[in-house]
Amino acid sequence: MKMAHGTSVQYEPVAEIGGGAYGTVYKARDTESGKFVALKSVRVQTDQNGLPVSTVREVALLRRLEQFDHPNVVRLMDVCATQRSEQETKVTLVFEHVDQDLKTYLEKAPAPGLPPGRIKDLMRQLLCGLAFLHSNRVMHRDLKPENILVTSQGQVKLADFGLARIYSCHMVLTPVVVTLWYRPPEVLLQSSYATPVDIWSTGCIFAEMFRRKPLFCGESEVDQLGKIIKVIGLPSEEEWPTNVTLSRKNFPSASPSPITDFVPEINESGAQLLLKMLTFDPTKRISALKALEHPYFQN
Amino acid sequence: AARGRTFWTMPLEDELTAAAAKGDAAQVRSLLGAGAQVNGVNCFGRTALQVMMMGSTRVAQILLDHGADPNVADGTTGATPLHDAARSGFLDTVRLLVRFTADPNARDQADRRPVDLARDECHTDVVAFLESL
Repeated sequence: MKMAHGTSVQYEPVAEIGGGAYGTVYKARDTESGKFVALKSVRVQTDQNGLPVSTVREVALLRRLEQFDHPNVVRLMDVCATQRSEQETKVTLVFEHVDQDLKTYLEKAPAPGLPPGRIKDLMRQLLCGLAFLHSNRVMHRDLKPENILVTSQGQVKLADFGLARIYSCHMVLTPVVVTLWYRPPEVLLQSSYATPVDIWSTGCIFAEMFRRKPLFCGESEVDQLGKIIKVIGLPSEEEWPTNVTLSRKNFPSASPSPITDFVPEINESGAQLLLKMLTFDPTKRISALKALEHPYFQN
Repeated sequence: AARGRTFWTMPLEDELTAAAAKGDAAQVRSLLGAGAQVNGVNCFGRTALQVMMMGSTRVAQILLDHGADPNVADGTTGATPLHDAARSGFLDTVRLLVRFTADPNARDQADRRPVDLARDECHTDVVAFLESL
């Protein structure tokens, strides 16, 4: 990791684009190339041995991913560490900046929305990016239209992956409003966190590409789960995770509604794939790799 | 649970540039309605049009409709919004900026015009449009 001394001005912030729990995110200009970049910093506690091993390991993992040059994840261009004090170091990750996200891209599409072939292409790219991350044991954990980037040439690039663990280990927790709309049941119930989390979010986003509005817009964890259950039905007693505070009894029994009631424009194989992604039990949910082999993507 | 965040403690111009950079058209509109200066600079000395999400033609339209200056150049590199829109290849935004009198012959500090940057990145549609002017 590069240690910055004095005032290095290769990356000049131009606007703050995110903040809160993680530290701050800036849109910045790389004054060497003239291009925009995204600066993501996190403050980590240091001791006499320097940076915590876990931070060094996570950063090393992100750098190793970079070697593959995968077309569907943003480039990690640089990593800088700046010592702030005896106890604190600021680690800044410099990522490629893409000047359009999926939210903007969907809003731009003229009525009646994106053509089915375009949705399929976006989904294939999204799943390719995810399959790549998952095969390297990196999960995203916070996939949403705002961090799925789309270049002017229609290339999908995932951003903000692999940061959750760097942040969660060391950040001082500050209450910050984060969207619940793409969270799977197991996260809402605080029972497990593994790669199927990202597939649930991908399912929500798949539906949103047709609907041009989010599928489940909950206002609290309970409300979010209630909205999910109304669509996919109340899972069986066996599927409900054990040792969670929120009991299955809190929810009225509901049988699954036809998914096409909520996503009328989707075709039959698309609807099948969507249901495999929006599966309550994370162990039964389809993987990114299997999803890419689904008949929806054939022909 | 809202998407995005509100920056309660920031001056309006910092909020405006943040909203523009995030492509949040609704927030840009409401901040302008609340009195944010469209050509005001944020704490980094940049206007909203300079830092906006270049792919968000809607944000560009709102800012330009409110009188955003399309010919303001970056203090460090000399790039105008048209340079950045051309380099990133967003033809709709490029067209809009030109319609609102952005100078297609503006040169940055490396003496390059927007069309030169679009050519470097192989955005042939943008190159064709800028050459047709």
